[in-house]
This record gives sequence, C-alpha cells and structure tokens, in this order.
Amino acid sequence: MTDEPSATAGRDTTESTGFDDVSEDELRAAFEATDYVADDDIVTTVLLALRLGRPLLVEGEPGAGKTELAKVLATGFDTELIRLQCYEGLAAENALYEWNYTKQLLAVQADERGVDDPDASVFDEEYLLERPLLQVLSAGGDRPPVLLIDEVDRADEEFEALLLEVLSDFQVSIPEFGTVEAETQPVVIITSNRTRALSDALKRRCLFLHVEPPSFEKEKSIVERKVPELDGAIATELCAVTQRLRQEPLRKQPGVAETLDWARAIAQLRADDGTGPLSPAEIEHTIGCLLKEVDDVERIDEAMLETLTEAAQRARGNE
Amino acid sequence: MLPTDGDGVPDAAGIRDEVVEALVMFVRALRRAGVDVPANAGVVGAQALVEVGFDDEDRARAALRAALVTRAEGVETFDRLFGEFWRRLAAHLDGDANDALDDAPDGALAPLGAESAPSDEAAETAAAEMEPGDDWNDGDLPLVRSAIEPGASDGQETDSTTATYSPSGRPETVTVDVGALIDDDPLDAAVDRLVGSLASLRGRRWRRAGSGERADPRRALRQSVATGGTVASLPERARRETAVQVAVLADVSQSVLDVVDRGFLLRFLRTLTARVRRSRVFFFDSDVRDVTTAFDEPTTADAVRALERAETSWGGGTRIGHAVETVRREHSEAIDRRTVALIVSDGLEMGDVAGLEREMTWLASRSRGVLWLNPLAANPEYEPTPAGMAAALQAVNGLFAFIDSRDILEIARQLEQYGIGGRIGLEYDPRRRQKTTRPDTKTKP
Repeated sequence: MTDEPSATAGRDTTESTGFDDVSEDELRAAFEATDYVADDDIVTTVLLALRLGRPLLVEGEPGAGKTELAKVLATGFDTELIRLQCYEGLAAENALYEWNYTKQLLAVQADERGVDDPDASVFDEEYLLERPLLQVLSAGGDRPPVLLIDEVDRADEEFEALLLEVLSDFQVSIPEFGTVEAETQPVVIITSNRTRALSDALKRRCLFLHVEPPSFEKEKSIVERKVPELDGAIATELCAVTQRLRQEPLRKQPGVAETLDWARAIAQLRADDGTGPLSPAEIEHTIGCLLKEVDDVERIDEAMLETLTEAAQRARGNE
Repeated sequence: MLPTDGDGVPDAAGIRDEVVEALVMFVRALRRAGVDVPANAGVVGAQALVEVGFDDEDRARAALRAALVTRAEGVETFDRLFGEFWRRLAAHLDGDANDALDDAPDGALAPLGAESAPSDEAAETAAAEMEPGDDWNDGDLPLVRSAIEPGASDGQETDSTTATYSPSGRPETVTVDVGALIDDDPLDAAVDRLVGSLASLRGRRWRRAGSGERADPRRALRQSVATGGTVASLPERARRETAVQVAVLADVSQSVLDVVDRGFLLRFLRTLTARVRRSRVFFFDSDVRDVTTAFDEPTTADAVRALERAETSWGGGTRIGHAVETVRREHSEAIDRRTVALIVSDGLEMGDVAGLEREMTWLASRSRGVLWLNPLAANPEYEPTPAGMAAALQAVNGLFAFIDSRDILEIARQLEQYGIGGRIGLEYDPRRRQKTTRPDTKTKP
C-alpha cells in the first residue's frame, strides 16, 4: 500500500500481469492438472486474457462451468482465488473495504489513537477491513491472485461503475488513507448468467467468452474425469440423456454441473450393482439431479422416459 | 503465410497496414451486420491477433471473437463473417505482403494497436498524379448520368440528378438503337488499359528474369557452389504474370438501366470480351441469362442483334444473390482461381440479403478477386449503405463507379498501381477526394 494517493490514471493496462509469460502449454497443463476439459477456443481466449492483462467476461447458461474456470486457474497456477459473489444491493463497503469502527472506537477511548494525529491515527491499515476487491489489489507474491467476480448481472448497475475504476487502473482511492494500487495486475474472471445486459463500458474493458453447452463428446470426457468411479458405458448413457433433454423446451436446461451431480448420484446408487444399462425407473427416480423446475420434471412422462432410454441405449450401442 | 517467430507472430513490418485495414473492414462489416462491437475493439483485436499469431485460423477466430464480440447473439454472425476476413487477410499475407517482407529491413511487426492512417495516402498520391484535364468537371462534380436523361449521351453533365428506378421492374426484350452505337475510342482505350492491368496482375510464383525486380538469393547460393562460394553474378527474379479470365455479372434490372447508358454498357461488355483471353458474360435481373456467345460477335451492333435474336430480356427486378447462386449452381466452371469477377450492379438487392452475403463469400473465395462496378457510385455523395451493397462489400476487393470510360480508366489506374489485393476502390478514387478538397467547391452557407 502507499501512504499518499498517487496519480496513476494513465496507467497502461498491458503492463506486467504476472501471467504475461504464460505459454499455451502451461495453460493446457493447468487445465489438465485440474481435470478441466477446455476446448481450443477457451484455451485461446483465456491465454489472451492472461497475456493482455484484460478481464475475461464469461457468459453462459448456469452450470456451464464459468465459475469453475476461475477456480481452475487459481488451482492450476497455485495462486489465491478471491471471490466476490454479486447480489442485488451489493455496495462498495461489501466489495472494497470498511473501517473497523468498533476497534477504532476502543482505540480512541483508550487514548491510544486519535483522528487528527497523522502518526497515531485510527485511519490506519490496522483498522481497515479489506473486502475482496481491496484484498486483490493489496495481495503480494510472485503470482497475483485470481479475482472471481461471480454473477455480476445480479449486482446493480451502480456497482458496475465501481468496478470500472478497479478494472481500468487496478487501483482504488481511500480518502482517509491513500491510493491502493496492485503491484501486479490480478487475473480477473467475471461471470454473468445474462439475466440483464451489462453496460457497454464494462464490456469494453473485457475480453468475451461465451461458454456453449458442451457437445456429447466433451461432456462425456468431463464426466469421466470428474466422476472416475462411474462406468464408462453408463457415463455415455448419462450424457446421451442429458443431450436429449437439452433438445426439449425446458424452463431450465441442465448444465454440466447437473450432469456431474447426476453422474455422482448414479455412481453412488450403483456402487454394488454392476454396469447394466440405465433403466427408465432409474432415470425417473434420479431425474431431480438434472431438472430443477417442477414444470420440467412434470414433462418427464412415460413417453419421454422411453425417448430418453432409447437415446441412452443408442449411445451405448454406438460405443 | 509469412515466416513467423516462435510465437507465430509475423516477422514483417510491411504487413502492418494490411492487417489493420483488413481488421477495420471486418469490424465495419460486423457492425453493419448488427454485432455490438465496442469502440476500442479494433485495437484490442489487433493486439489479440499479434498475441496468437497468424498461422492458425481457429486460434485467430477465437482471439478475435473474444476481442470483438460482447454478446452471445453476435457469435453466429461473427463466425459467418470471419471466413471472408481471414481469406482477405491470408491473401494479403500470402501475396502482396511478401514484397513487403523482402523490403522490411528490421523484420519487426510494429505495434498493431497504435493508431495509423493508411487509407488517405493512396488517394492523395493518386490525386497528385492526375492530369489537369482528368477531373470530372471544372464546375460542379458529376452526378449520375443517365441514358434516359436528355443530353447525357452527348457528354453534357446534369446537375443534382436523383436516379429513379423501379425496384421490381418488368422484363422487356433487349433493344438498343444500333445506329447510336458508334465507335468510342476513349472507351476502347480504357478497356485496353483495364485488360492490361488485369493481365499484368502478378501471381505468387517467381520467374527468373534478366533484369528482375528482386535479387534471387537462392539461385545465387546455388550458383556459388560452382565457384567455391563466391557469388560471381547476382541473378534476379520477377513475379510471374498470370493469365486472367473475366466473368461479368451484369445487372440489367430496371434500376440499373435507368441510370447507366445502355449503349455504354453493351460497348463495354463487347470490348472487354474481345480483349480478354476467356470471358463469360451473364445478364441478370430476377433471372440469369448466359449471354457470352452474343458478345463474341465482331461488333457491338452485332452483339445487340444477337441478343435481340435470342429474345434476351432485361429490365426486371434485382436479385443479385440469386444470380450468383445460379452461377454457382449452373455455371460454376465460369469462376475459378484465375477468374476476376466483375459485378455491374447498383447493389439495390430486392432478394434475400443474407443469401447475397453468403453467395458473395463463395464468389470471393472461388475467384481471383471481385470488382463491383456500381453506376450509382459515380455520384460523389454515394455511400454503399443499401443493405445489399453493404452486405456484399465485405467480399469485394474494390467498389468502383461505372458510368463512362473515365471510370474504367480509374479502375485500371488503381489496379496498375496497387493490384487487385491492394487498397483499391471508391475511397481511393481521387475524384471523390477532390470534391471535398477543391477550394472552389460551392457549399451552402
């Protein structure tokens, strides 16, 4: 931290990020080590975000693996993940910093610190409660942390304006304290479920990645990596069912996260029961792992169960 | 593609302008297609391209998608238009940029994100080269001259004419007063020069040359083996000149016939056909007719009679996309990598614009290049904003005015100077530029 506010408005956002020397092989290795199945588009886009030092705005349906991307980057590069979960009404004091008023009051009452004395002020780092954005800016280390601003579309538009300053200059001004500036730019992953349109100003500062629902092959690969205890043929059937369900006009399409939940559930239920094909009853009893809306669950009648079972059997037959 | 360093970054300063220009055109095409592209996206896109290099189309696509697209709805349009951008960029890097590579002394790619203003230089150069009598007029600049306007055919200029046209039109048999089809030396000379400029287009291959434009280091090295490593003489090389074929798709819809001198159009087609090695000519309005054989006749008058005998019609509506599609389906042999496609049309597409865009992408990828000759573009105020013209523009090497022989000369001049893959087109036409820079240009207070 700096004691005095510093003028850094003209800062070049492409300066060292701590990740600007990351190679594609290193990035792929990081994904591989964390069992994250990323296609070439994702690898290229993330690599660009790292090298150019630009925030990455990731959009896609819930459960598509947006949040996981930030976690994987932090784990894969052995750095800290700092998460800011957005919600309606999120304010600056929840995202940036707060003063520890109780501690300040006690210090003043005990006559240890004052308000005006610059050498013994209660507006000191000791009394500052760092929230996620400030934590990121003041973090040290060789590799900067990964900042995950999750579901930014849930936050108010006023909060986006606050983000603009942070994302443009990677610094924040605290009137009583000074300017806090990141030594190295953090990796910033912003996720959005597209429940509302984001401002142009925010989008202009970001690279964009739209995560599509995975293909059958990719989803199968994800299930096999994340749920290794599940038999391969059953994993194939599960993915075929999920893919078939995504063709239906559901209120909420199952994402990869739901597929993984379902796979883990089936693996648990079949722990002692071999590798036989999925039965309609088995699908019906566990469909709640995939579908989270009552209306969607009610669509699964006998005819639909038969369709799903056929899809599963066809996929197993094609193995 | 160009030689690259380990990261796939092109090792040539000379391609910077070409990459920037292709990128700017791509961004414009995306915006025209309704994609929400941020204001700074071009700079970010250039930085992204430099990071990922130019060797892998998929990587470049992913990089530019991340930089240029901000909404999921734009992804599909981006993917659709990217192919043409990449083709254009690859043409720059494969062909003309090799010249720049040879000339580049330090071999480093200048920062692409920096500002550059390459586009005006060409027009300024061209303007400086113009002869005193080459400008359109001493007074007001010409507007569209129409065959249906009194006095237009005898060279008189008209003021502030707005072209009238019928968007649908009713086909009628081709009829032109044969007696009016007198020899036109300026047109013949202009077409000669155009054909010369097309035929002199250089290919990618080099040939040995006694006094070529470049030294041939490889050959010099080979020869030096015989002299113990000493280079006794410096062999030289030059680009091969490839034979160029032409396919003309002439829009004879009512909207075009209303603004173009029909006699001029027919004379142009006849003269062009007579002077290139191989040509195909198609008339199209709402239908497509292969009229190549008619223009094989020895004179324009004979060509008109042949068209009349064949009861060839014109004056229908404008379906450019359908015309290109028909050529693709039924006459695909007319277009190959050696063929320069000339489209004579006002771009006022009455059919499916998305289809036109798709077919133009095919035409651009299949042909040596596409030149669009637009009668409406003779108006200095013209902007290619009609939906059909805007959609087609991304696949066109150059859009030019087409109303008289001076327009043909301008096309030839640009082709001679910059080649079909270079920065050519209406925006580099010095006559348009003059309109804005002439001190005596009258403007309303």
